[in-house]
Amino acid sequence: MLTKDERERYDRQMLIRGFGEEGQSKLKKAKVFIAGAGGLGSGIATYLAAAGVGVIRVADHDKVEPSNLNRQVLHWEEDMGRKKVDSAADKLKRLNPRVKVEAIGERLTEASISQLVAGFDLIVDAMDNLPARYLLNKVAIERNIPLFHGAVHGFEGRAMTIIPGKTACLRCLYRGAIVEGRFPVIGVTPGVIGCIQATEVIKYIVGIGELLTNRLLVYDGLNMKFTEFKVKKDPDCEHCGKAKGKNKG
Amino acid sequence: MSVKINIHASFSRLTNGQTVVEVNGNTVGQCLDELVKRFPQLKKKLFEKNGTLSRIIDIYLNGESTYPEELEAPVKDGDELHIVVIISGG
Repeated sequence: MLTKDERERYDRQMLIRGFGEEGQSKLKKAKVFIAGAGGLGSGIATYLAAAGVGVIRVADHDKVEPSNLNRQVLHWEEDMGRKKVDSAADKLKRLNPRVKVEAIGERLTEASISQLVAGFDLIVDAMDNLPARYLLNKVAIERNIPLFHGAVHGFEGRAMTIIPGKTACLRCLYRGAIVEGRFPVIGVTPGVIGCIQATEVIKYIVGIGELLTNRLLVYDGLNMKFTEFKVKKDPDCEHCGKAKGKNKG
Repeated sequence: MSVKINIHASFSRLTNGQTVVEVNGNTVGQCLDELVKRFPQLKKKLFEKNGTLSRIIDIYLNGESTYPEELEAPVKDGDELHIVVIISGG
């Protein structure tokens, strides 16, 4: 049930066909886990908080550094040296005090991840490396929690939505791993991709539209092109197929 | 069989700036071999040392993943390939 204040605040989105008060109530009840409070995480968390998602748990072990500020728009000059999750939680609470924001300032590990996502309805991938993404993919499949993937490099980005048991997973899509330390990126790229991920999250929760499942969306900001590739569920996938559990990667 | 290959932008410095190249071949592997003959520096980027497709490269044929056939996937006249590189930043 929405309050009068909530009806006012979310009026414009409740006007969307198929959304209404019912959709808003679904958002209010939803619990979303965002892995990463960097470039992707900033956009995702901002728009989910603004949309009125009930509980947002943000996990990141990093502290704010000067080189983050070109893209990680939840962190400002005054936040230098603070834990990113604390900086993010402050801004999100100020943006929308109705949303419960939980800050987890620890590294996601194989030992901790399962407990951290327990009780959450969705996982959003805002990580900056593939091994961590594979960890998220595995736990999403084990716990049957939808995963919303995004990645960026330079002016280029990718997004895909994964519904465990039904659609291709991240491991069906990628099998390799790249070691990438200081990757190039312009702030608008995680902005675009983070917004696409947040759009998918909102659609999934409200139950409207067509999800980005079995489709990899590739964004090329330099040529301003969106290309879509079909991805198949791999029957021999190490995470969701017959080879499940054979490889820890 | 004439096939159009769309090359990932990050490799264009190895292809004299070309991002689309027409090649001939009956399989994805043959098409990539011809591409590498024309632009030898691409070999290290596209293939592992044992000659298999690099694990950070995905090949899409007419917009669909070629995995697991990859290099063995047959192609026909007018087909289009995309060479896509894994990215992982956030």
